[in-house]
Amino acid sequence: MEKGILRSRWGGLPVAAVVVLLFGAAALGLEELLDKPVEDRSDLIVIDSMATLGTLERPPVPFLHDKHTEALEKRGKDCAACHLRDEKRQSPKFMRLKDADYESVMNVYHDNCIVCHREISDAGEKSGPVTCGDCHTKTIPVATGRQPMGFDLSLHYRHSKAQDKKCETCHHEYDEATKKLVYVKEQEGTCRYCHKAQTEENRISMRLASHLSCIECHQKTMAKNKIAGPVHCGGCHDLSEQQKIERVNPVPRMERKQPDVIFVKSSNPEINEKDRRINRVPFDHKRHETYSSTCRVCHHAAMSACAACHTQSGKKEGKGVKLAEAMHQIGTETSCMGCHQLQQRRHSSCAGCHVSIPANRQRSEAECLTCHMPPLTEEAQTAAAGQSGTDPFAAELLASRTPVTDTYGDEDVPEKVIINVLVDQYEPVELPHRKIVRTLVKNIRESKLAAYYHREEGTLCQGCHHNSPVSKKPPQCASCHGKPFDEKQPERPGLKAAYHQQCMTCHEAMGIEKPAAVDCVGCHKERKK
Amino acid sequence: MSQEHVVARTIFTPFNVVTGIILAIGGILTIMRFTMGLGAVTNLSHYNPWGIWIGFDLLVGVALAAGGYVTSAAVYIFGMKKYHSAVRPAILTGFLGYALVVVALHYDLGKPWRLPYPFIVSQGTTSILFEVGACVALYLTVLFLEFSSAPLEWLGFRRTRNLVVKLTIVLTIFGVVLSTLHQSSLGALFLIAPSKLHPLWYSPYLPFYFFVSSVVAGLSMVIFENTLTHRYLNHKMDEEHKTGADPLALGFGKAAALVLAGYFSIKVIGIANGNHWNLLNTPYGYWFLVELLGFVALPAFLYAVGVRDKNINLIRYTAAWTVLGIVINRLNVSLIAFNWHLPSSERYFPSFIEIGVTLFIVTLGVVIFRFIVTRMPILYQHPEYEGH
Amino acid sequence: MSITRRKFLGWIGAAGAGTLVGKRAGAAANRHFTGHPDSMGVLYDNTLCIGCRRCEAGCNAVNNLPAPNRPFDDLAVMDTPRRTTAYEYMVMNRYDSDSAPAGPFFRRIGCNHCLEPACASSCFVSAYTKAETGAVTYDPSVCVGCRYCMIACPFEIPAYEYDKALDPSISKCHMCHHRIVEGLLPGCVEACPVEALTFGKREALIRIARKRIQTRPDRYVDHIYGEHEMGGSNWLYLSAVPFREMGMREDLGVVSAPQLTHGALSAVPIVVGLWPVLLTGVYAMSRRKDKIAETEKADAVKEALDRASAEAETRLADALAKAESEKQKAIEKAVKSALEEAAEKAGTDSAETTSEEES
Repeated sequence: MEKGILRSRWGGLPVAAVVVLLFGAAALGLEELLDKPVEDRSDLIVIDSMATLGTLERPPVPFLHDKHTEALEKRGKDCAACHLRDEKRQSPKFMRLKDADYESVMNVYHDNCIVCHREISDAGEKSGPVTCGDCHTKTIPVATGRQPMGFDLSLHYRHSKAQDKKCETCHHEYDEATKKLVYVKEQEGTCRYCHKAQTEENRISMRLASHLSCIECHQKTMAKNKIAGPVHCGGCHDLSEQQKIERVNPVPRMERKQPDVIFVKSSNPEINEKDRRINRVPFDHKRHETYSSTCRVCHHAAMSACAACHTQSGKKEGKGVKLAEAMHQIGTETSCMGCHQLQQRRHSSCAGCHVSIPANRQRSEAECLTCHMPPLTEEAQTAAAGQSGTDPFAAELLASRTPVTDTYGDEDVPEKVIINVLVDQYEPVELPHRKIVRTLVKNIRESKLAAYYHREEGTLCQGCHHNSPVSKKPPQCASCHGKPFDEKQPERPGLKAAYHQQCMTCHEAMGIEKPAAVDCVGCHKERKK
Repeated sequence: MSQEHVVARTIFTPFNVVTGIILAIGGILTIMRFTMGLGAVTNLSHYNPWGIWIGFDLLVGVALAAGGYVTSAAVYIFGMKKYHSAVRPAILTGFLGYALVVVALHYDLGKPWRLPYPFIVSQGTTSILFEVGACVALYLTVLFLEFSSAPLEWLGFRRTRNLVVKLTIVLTIFGVVLSTLHQSSLGALFLIAPSKLHPLWYSPYLPFYFFVSSVVAGLSMVIFENTLTHRYLNHKMDEEHKTGADPLALGFGKAAALVLAGYFSIKVIGIANGNHWNLLNTPYGYWFLVELLGFVALPAFLYAVGVRDKNINLIRYTAAWTVLGIVINRLNVSLIAFNWHLPSSERYFPSFIEIGVTLFIVTLGVVIFRFIVTRMPILYQHPEYEGH
Repeated sequence: MSITRRKFLGWIGAAGAGTLVGKRAGAAANRHFTGHPDSMGVLYDNTLCIGCRRCEAGCNAVNNLPAPNRPFDDLAVMDTPRRTTAYEYMVMNRYDSDSAPAGPFFRRIGCNHCLEPACASSCFVSAYTKAETGAVTYDPSVCVGCRYCMIACPFEIPAYEYDKALDPSISKCHMCHHRIVEGLLPGCVEACPVEALTFGKREALIRIARKRIQTRPDRYVDHIYGEHEMGGSNWLYLSAVPFREMGMREDLGVVSAPQLTHGALSAVPIVVGLWPVLLTGVYAMSRRKDKIAETEKADAVKEALDRASAEAETRLADALAKAESEKQKAIEKAVKSALEEAAEKAGTDSAETTSEEES
């Protein structure tokens, strides 16, 4: 008996040692070696349609749609292989028109997917999974590379041209009374005004609406052997495919009876001129249409005037956002000032200076008046605003605006500025001052925004010569910037950092690669001791 | 004439040859360490400042030397006189263990000649390590005094020997106090680095874990060492020692079963306290379960079975297995689960020289143990002092 | 069990000596240390940093460190992540980012000069000092080289001179304490051309950092690293990208290192005070048990002996009494038979007498 125990005990030791070593190796993280890079795909659909019908017993199934359409195309099959049609259109659901209940939906998937996979693998070709765990995987082995898709003015123009400007092909409204979709002329707006992210009762989601309408139409067009848009996932949602979409430039103006040049509406109905508290803003709507890729950048909730929802004191339809905020809020593209401020930072010609100017600084009266222009005549003051087309007073005001497209002349702009205040390890900097100024002017000359806002010739200089009044002889940097880390001026850098931060920040924002920030001798030669 | 023949034949026993080689190599490695510096002989890095000289030599050494205080407490404080024959071997193991820990420390410290600094030059009393150092130094003294009765008997200094023996109970109490403090503080050393120790091993209960497992280590090590001396040094034992072996195994095995069960439950409580259940299903979690189930729960069970069935052999094997478990636990806390978050390129594995020095120190301990046991009244009572 | 006065005093003395192992609970006490007043600090802002490594060069020059293998203007050094080493008190690392905001971003790695440093708490020779300037300084003249500070530091900063055989020490940034006390700037701060490193009082730096975040919320992650991490530090960080993307751990918590070991340390005097009492008590109880066992044994022996002797006596008495009664019986029997004999004899005699009278 004892001998028997002895044998098994000694035999157990190497086994134990191996087990221990294995666990130890696992603990050291050998699974690191098995890490594979994850693929990006735009056709990834995670099938979890039963989630609304009950609790999912297994993880949702990752499904690659384009992979399947390609495979089926090779076999001469089309959408009808998986998508049934009712009288109106192809159902986006798989092999069914409606979701009945948990069991039946599950059976639809199992009976069709697994059977088809088996058929293909029986034919000796590579096929999809047939076992539970291979479809219902715990982790999804691909990453979704799906880019959201939408219309911009160019794509919309191409579609409207292809439909011979028949807006009713796509645009509709829902009539509560008749409970039908009807077309209302001159009320066309973006689909997203009604079709939101989720389906609400009988109002389907944007995803469903766009797939049903777009793909249906594309299929019909293709059937007629005409050039049509994509029907595969990747055709719309793949980034590289999106970049291949043909662009029309310039886009001819959409005709929807929108205003050309008017005053921005301040209320609905219009405030009486006696109660008006600030000058009305003349607004070139026609020109502004070309500044954004879609209308909904500004008309984010409805294709109407801002004041329809955003009143002086705010109301429910406007989510409580008052008119002042809607017009002036920094940080959002939907407000006038917000968009203007974003333009300052978006364009490299502007960003160099504007990245350092605080976005929500207190603005001067002159800046307000750039938009809220005082009326030119008594008549202009009291006239009611036009509703459409061109308001003559607004047009008149806009024409009176004087753009500033240049700065001082050569006699006031030094050609070279020698910066030698801190000479130590390096020789003085020979700044090509006039060249910089003239280049800046040239880059922003085309911008009307810049031209209207750079109110004086010397405003441009303020980009570098900051925190001081506009002047032909602005103060030297060393007048304010001295020793670093002054407790009384915690926000003010010392002179060395002031120079470096100023130049380097501008260069970086403008995307200027030479001289690189780390290339010291690119700006100042080394001083030989 | 025949005496010389006997001597010439027996000095090159296999044991002597192997240990002699190890000691000789160890000597060379020692010279290398002190002339070339730590960087040249170890695989230590800025991320891994402590290697096996701390993880094994120090932590495991101190844990396994705990048999000294456990046995002397059992016999003198708890009055279990039947284990009396185990006291001297346990104290000797303890004393040699701690002495060699200090020797090993000299290899690891950057400036070992400054070891007395914390006591006499500049006291860093906010440091757990200060407490460890103070208690280990004091306890080494206590062990030395406790052990000294054997060489004093051997040398025949009767009066001094009697004085030392009179101090036994005070030394034992002092020894238990100091052992509680430094065994738990060795665990408390890692309290300061929660971000570096895997959450399954890091716990505010670390001091308790180390203290309780040191009791287990002491009990098991006494049984284990008893097994070895019985096998190889039986000829040096007197009747009391020979007959005392089996009751020792039974009694200490019973205690070890109980303490291991307690240790298991406080470890589980520690997981619950930190809510780390989900971590058990990770690679490190599996390794933790190997330690907890294979080297804590299993020996608890096997000890209990051995005691119930009076299966001395099972108890002896379990003791060896438990000692291995203590080694694994200390290495886990100091080296394996420590810096678990670093990439494998920054993890530590000992160099050959580090392993060689460790082997050298362990061998030194075994050789000195044999030297003392074959000459001094450790495994037998000195005839002049029978009955104390 | 009786204890002699001498023994008792001896034990109390031993217990008292044990209390000498206690310690000042100063830095480990349950107080929230917010730093020495007016202590200085450095704010590193990675939105300003251009990664030129002048700071590293400045540190190297000011501390007379040996020249590095690759010069400081070799920016390709940052292609591989580095850490502080025995001869580099601080290093700059580069982190490239594809997502917005586009990188690269730089990170300064070096001692954070914690308010309650783990290294100072862990050092058993008090080689570290949290100076009033805010700097955590290191004194190599007492260092034993145990390297526990390297274990303790949650930021993995202290480096060791493993290459030195005879005189290895710890290497770490000391915030140029020797320069600060003379009103000079730390070497790295002075060298930085863009003031990505701002030097000033810690309170002021936190206010500056908050102001920067408030003014440019699009530019900064809304967090000052070092304000609370591990109890707070004198070196603060602002970043354009989440700190963890630069390898700065965000899971360290706000509890300072000394507070982590406070519990274990404060248990030491309790053990020293209570254990001798408990163990003496157990010893006393076990001695008492032995004594009682001995007394009971003696009593039992005595009782057995008494009983045995009592039994013997009773038996003897019984035997004597029996012997006595037997003797009496024998005497009575003898007397009775004698009497009977006498009676018989008297009977025959009287018969003869009677007959003589009649004749």
